[in-house]
Amino acid sequence: MTDLSAADVTDLFRTVSLRIGEARAALGALDGAIGDGDHGNSMAEGFAALTRALVSATREGKGAGELFPIAAESFLDAVGATTGPLYASAFLSAGQLFSGMDSIPAARIPELVTAFHDGIARRGKAGVGDKTMLDAWRPAARAVAAAGPDPLAALAAAEAAASEGRDATRAMVAALGRAARLGSRTLGHIDPGAASAVIILQGLREGLTARLARGAS
Amino acid sequence: MAVKPESGVLAEMPMRFGDDALLWAAWLYYEDGLTQSDIAQKMGLSRASVNTWLADARARGLVNIEIQPEHFRAVSVARGLKDHFGLHDCLVIPSEGDGKPLIERLGQAGAMVLKRLVRSGDTLAVTWGRSVLALASALDHPGLADIRVVQATGSTTARIAWTPEACASRLASALGARWIPLAVPAIVSSPAMRAMLMEEPVLAEQLQVLSEANRIIMGISSMRPESTIHSSGFLEGVDRHAHYQDAVGSLLGRFISARGELVSGPVNDRTIGLDLDGLRRVPQKIAVAGGIDKVAAILAALRGGLIDVLVTDAATARGVLTADGWQESSRRPAPAATVPTATRSHGKKLINEARNAVDESLAGALMAHEALISLVPGTSRAVMAKHGPRPGKVGIVIGGGAGHEPGFWGYVGQGLADAAVVGNIFAAPPPGPILAASRAVDGGAGLLYIFGNFSGDVMNFEMAREMAEAGGIPVRQIITTDDIASSEPDSRGSRRGVAGNVFVFRIAGAAADLGASLEACEAVTRRAAQRVYTMGLALEPARLPDTGRPGYELGADEMEIGVGVHGEPGVERQQLVSADDAADLLLDRILSEMAPSRGDRVAVLVNSLGGTPAMELYILTRRIRQRLTAHGITVSHMLVGPYYTSLDMAGVSLSVLHLDDELAALMDHPCDAPALMSKGGRA
Repeated sequence: MTDLSAADVTDLFRTVSLRIGEARAALGALDGAIGDGDHGNSMAEGFAALTRALVSATREGKGAGELFPIAAESFLDAVGATTGPLYASAFLSAGQLFSGMDSIPAARIPELVTAFHDGIARRGKAGVGDKTMLDAWRPAARAVAAAGPDPLAALAAAEAAASEGRDATRAMVAALGRAARLGSRTLGHIDPGAASAVIILQGLREGLTARLARGAS
Repeated sequence: MAVKPESGVLAEMPMRFGDDALLWAAWLYYEDGLTQSDIAQKMGLSRASVNTWLADARARGLVNIEIQPEHFRAVSVARGLKDHFGLHDCLVIPSEGDGKPLIERLGQAGAMVLKRLVRSGDTLAVTWGRSVLALASALDHPGLADIRVVQATGSTTARIAWTPEACASRLASALGARWIPLAVPAIVSSPAMRAMLMEEPVLAEQLQVLSEANRIIMGISSMRPESTIHSSGFLEGVDRHAHYQDAVGSLLGRFISARGELVSGPVNDRTIGLDLDGLRRVPQKIAVAGGIDKVAAILAALRGGLIDVLVTDAATARGVLTADGWQESSRRPAPAATVPTATRSHGKKLINEARNAVDESLAGALMAHEALISLVPGTSRAVMAKHGPRPGKVGIVIGGGAGHEPGFWGYVGQGLADAAVVGNIFAAPPPGPILAASRAVDGGAGLLYIFGNFSGDVMNFEMAREMAEAGGIPVRQIITTDDIASSEPDSRGSRRGVAGNVFVFRIAGAAADLGASLEACEAVTRRAAQRVYTMGLALEPARLPDTGRPGYELGADEMEIGVGVHGEPGVERQQLVSADDAADLLLDRILSEMAPSRGDRVAVLVNSLGGTPAMELYILTRRIRQRLTAHGITVSHMLVGPYYTSLDMAGVSLSVLHLDDELAALMDHPCDAPALMSKGGRA
C-alpha cells in the first residue's frame, strides 16, 4: 500500500487548510450567534500558518512523523485562544503516534482521527453533550475504531459520524467555553467547533483520496 | 375565566388553549382568519355569541398581542410542536408563573390534559418520576367507570418519593380506578432471573394488563447526574460511558439515542416492564416533561415517534423546536418594517488592513508611551515596563485578547503590572509570548499571572505557567470572575473576568511594588478579585475590523443586559431605559450581591465599552454617586472613562470594589502607567 511522505502529509494539511479557509465566513457566522465570532478567523489563520510551517519543514528534509510537533507549535502561536491549545494538543498526540517515521502508510492515516480526539479530550476535558468540538471528534474516533482496514472508508465513516455529532449539538446547551454563559440561548445553534471538526475530516478524506488516486510513488 | 360556553362542545377545543374558550375564539378569528360563522359552527355557539366574545376579547386586550404576548406565544409554539412532529395535541404552559415550581405546574397541566382525554373503560399505563407524581397529585377526577391503572415497569429503589408504585397508586385513587402493580423490581440482577420471573403466573397476568393499555402517562428523563434515571438506581454499577454514551435521555427505564432509537446496554435484558416496541403500540402516549435540561431527551422521543400528546413549558418547547430547525412564523398581519434598527449594518473604521489592526495599534501605543513601556525582546505582542524588573519584587503578568484597549498594555508601569501580553482580537495570547514576558520580568521573587476567566486565557496561561515553573520560576495565578451577569452567585467560579480587572491589577501592582511576597501578593489580589463586582449593558454591539459587522443585532429601542467584553450577546434583552434607570439596574444588582453596610468604602469604575461618550458616562456617574450616598457608602476612588473596552461597542459597565483597610491603602499607592496614573492618595 501507498506510503505518505512528508510532502504528502503537507498536502493533506494543505487541503484541510483550503477547506477551512473557504468556510472562514460561515464558521465566523456560526460563532457570532453564540460566541464572539472569531472561530472562522482563528481556524483559517491557524491552518494557514501551519501549512506554511510544514512546507518549509518539508523543504528542510524533515520526515513525515516530525511534522506534527511543528504543526502544533505553528498553529498554537498563530491562534492562541481556546482553539490553539486544543488543536496543538491534537497534533502533538498524533506526533507521538508517528514519531521517528519518515513516511506514514496510508492505512494508518485514520489513526490521526483517534489521536486528534485523544489530544483534544485530554486538554479540553469536555464531557459528552457539552456542545463542543468533542461532540464531533468523539463519534468520529469511535467510527474509526469500528471501521475496517480501508482508510478511505474509515475516514468516510468518521466524517459521517462527526456530521451527525455536529448536528446533534443543535439540541445541546453549551456547558463550557464562552457560549456557556448564554445557557439555553445556545439551543438551536450548531457548535462552530464541531462544524470545523467536520471540515477537517472532509479535508483529510479529500486529500487522501487524491493521494491514493495518484498511486504508489 | 368569566365566559361560560353555552353548550358542551368545547370538549373539542384544542388543549393548547387550556380552559380558555375565549382565547380559542380569538385565535380562530385573528390568527386562523376564520369568519365568525365558521367559529360559531366550530365551537357550537351562536354567531351572536361569537361576536360578543370577540368584542369581549378586544375589550380585555386579549387579542392585542402586545398586551398578552406570553399566552399567544405559548399557543403558537404549541401549534408549532403539534404540526412539526405530527402530535395529536400539545399543551404548553408558561415557563414561569405564580411562584410555583415548574414540576408542580406541569403536573397540574398534565392533570387537566388527562381529565379531558381519559374515558371510562380505559387501561392507563403509568411510569414514574417527579412530573408523573405531580400529575397524579394534582388530579381529582372520580366518576368514570372501569378504569385500570397499571404500572408500566417494575419497582425502583424506595429512596425516592416518586416510585412507580406511588405514581400508579396515587393516579388510581384520583380516578377511582383499580391499581395493578407489577410485583417485581424494574431491574433484576441478571437476564436469567428476568426470564424466570417472567414465567411467574401473577406477573404474566399483570403484564397482560399492561399490554392492553390504551393510554400511557410518562415522564422523560435527561441523562444529567441529578435526573430521575440516575436517582432511581437504573445506572448503579453500570459504566455509563462504556454502554450508554449515545443515550440522550430515557423513558420507561429504557435509553434512547438522539434519533429516538433504543440504546442497548447491560441493563436492557434485566429490565422488566414495557419496552420501546410495546410503547409504540400504545394508541395514545402522553408525555409530561419540562425544563431546559430535557430538551435533547424530549426531542429524541418526538423524533422516535414515542409521544402523541406532549405537556411541557414554553422555554422547553421553544428549545425543542429551535433545536430541530423550526422557526417561529411571522405573525399576521405583518407590521410594516419601517423602524430602522439601531445597529449600523456596516461600521466605518479607521484601519488599514484588518489583519494588521492589532499590531499597528500596539505599535502606536508603544510610541505614544515610550517612556513607560516597550516590547519584550524577541516578541511582537508582549509589553513590559521600562523601569523593571526589580530584583526581589514579585512580577505581575497580565493579558488577554486584543480589542480591549487600553487593556492590557495600558496597565503596565510602576505600581501596576510588569508585563502584558495580548492575542488576536478577543482571542487569548498563545503561551510562547507569555513565557517570554515571564522570563523578562522575573525578579527572582516569583510571578503572579492575572487574567479573566475565559477558557482560552485559562488554557494558554496555564500552559505558560507549566513551562515557566519547569524553568524554575514560581508562578501563582488569579483568574478573575467579576462579571456578575454571567452566572449565579453560587457558581461564581464560572463567571467572566471583565472591567473589574483594572482594580485587581491596581491592587496586585501596589502590593508587589511595596515588596510583598508572592504569597502575600496572591492573597490580597485574590481578595480584591473576590470583592469586585461588575455589571454591563450594551446599546449597540461591537463590530470586528475584518467583517465590519456586528456579532448580533439589537433593535432601535433595545438594550442588551449583562454583555461581556467581547462580541458575545448578553444574558437578556430589554427595552432601552433612561440613564438613571440604567444606572439603577446595574447598581442594584451589584449592591444586592455585595451587601455593603452603611459607612463602607468602595472604589468605582464607570467604564465605556468603546462607543459610549464621556458625556453619558458622567450622567451615569452622577446617578451612581447619588445612590451610593443615599445608601451610606463612601466612594474613595473613582474612575470614569474607556478603561476596558470592547472595540466600538456602545455601552457601559459598572465595577465596584468593596474596600477594606488594606485594599484602600493599596488603592492609595502611587502608580504610573499609560492608562492609569496616580501620585498617591485619593483619586
